[in-house]
Amino acid sequence: MKTMMKGLLIVLAVAALPLGASAQQLFDFNGQAMMPSTAGGVLTMYSVMYDPAPIDSPIPLDFASYEFTLVVDGVTLVSDGISRVFSGGTVTIYQDAGTAADYTNPATFTDGTAILVGNFTSLSQFVPPFGPGSVSGYLDWVGGARLNDMAPEDQLHWAFLSGTSTTSGTLLPGYDEVWDGKTEPPSTIVDTEAASMGSIKALFR
Amino acid sequence: MDRLGLSKCVLAVLLTVAAALPAGAQMANIDYIGYAFETGGLLPSNAGDELTLVAVASNADPVFEVDLGAYELTFHAGGLISTGEVLDGSTTVIHYTGGMLEIYQDGSQDADWGLNPPNAVSPATFTDGELFFRGEFSSFTLYFAPGGYGTFEGTLSALDGTMIDGSCSDCVYTWAGAFLSGAGAQNPAGYDLQTDGGFQIDSTVATETASWGSVKALFSN
Repeated sequence: MKTMMKGLLIVLAVAALPLGASAQQLFDFNGQAMMPSTAGGVLTMYSVMYDPAPIDSPIPLDFASYEFTLVVDGVTLVSDGISRVFSGGTVTIYQDAGTAADYTNPATFTDGTAILVGNFTSLSQFVPPFGPGSVSGYLDWVGGARLNDMAPEDQLHWAFLSGTSTTSGTLLPGYDEVWDGKTEPPSTIVDTEAASMGSIKALFR
Repeated sequence: MDRLGLSKCVLAVLLTVAAALPAGAQMANIDYIGYAFETGGLLPSNAGDELTLVAVASNADPVFEVDLGAYELTFHAGGLISTGEVLDGSTTVIHYTGGMLEIYQDGSQDADWGLNPPNAVSPATFTDGELFFRGEFSSFTLYFAPGGYGTFEGTLSALDGTMIDGSCSDCVYTWAGAFLSGAGAQNPAGYDLQTDGGFQIDSTVATETASWGSVKALFSN
């Protein structure tokens, strides 16, 4: 019975923890996309990531020393319309201290170290009759040099959200849409902390 | 009016127009991330409900000359009154009336969404600092896709703020972005939407100083 009470206490303690503002985490990006014109075509998007402060990055990123780029590739248009449906595709985050990202040379977005590689599990785009569009989906991180900075359960089911615009004045030649978005874990990722058994037991006294 | 007087008048008009036009069409953008809440929750959006959005800039075009390492740019959009949601096919459309957008430049970097807004820190920590821009919405519309995500866009008329001094007099100000409702993503308790978007100024130019001679030379050919 005592064990059951402790179990219940742990559940209650977790449930009572509110998601505070400081607990928010996301990767923020702003980029340019090349869109498929017909079903079966492939979507590619190149973007630069920004420090989302005061929100935290899900894993620490040194924005002062490195440039981080986020690239979407291999996403196939399945059906067109006011709601476009896509399948497949990858998201890769690169860390690079060498070449500055240049939209006239997409190779500058894919150099450096691939720190996270993810697969989309779903992706759709909402294109209302007026104004900007919106992309929403989910992805699982499956590779990259820093994949193991996250526990396996934290690598899955990340939300991917982006505004899209075909008319923005920041749209560059050779591209079809401006994308401004973020991807984030379903819950806060916490770093490991060293603690004595005594301090852990004290939490339940 | 004699012929010379008429020529002077035409020249004056030409000079006025030339001064108002940018050297080349430009777009400047401030990228932001934030959260929004509506009285009574969202959806549904009932007529009379008020939408509030608070956000922080994560990137700003260099033309704004703001060091985001030393200052934060915070956004507060408030006073947006829903006219009630309308279903257009599978899309839920909500038009809003009224509303203001304020942007503050703040060295304290204290922006905090907190929980269950309005609260002690939100919107208060988004409206402290120096007023960078204030504009009145001339339109604001929110589009909900069936999957709980969507977009919004509004246009603004600039009123005041330090930023306006460094921008052209006839700029077009747009506030737009994408949103995701609470399900499936992190959202502080009490907020209905998480948002990511941009504040854009079309045809932004820096102020240029020119001699009278150089201005006349523009019309000498």
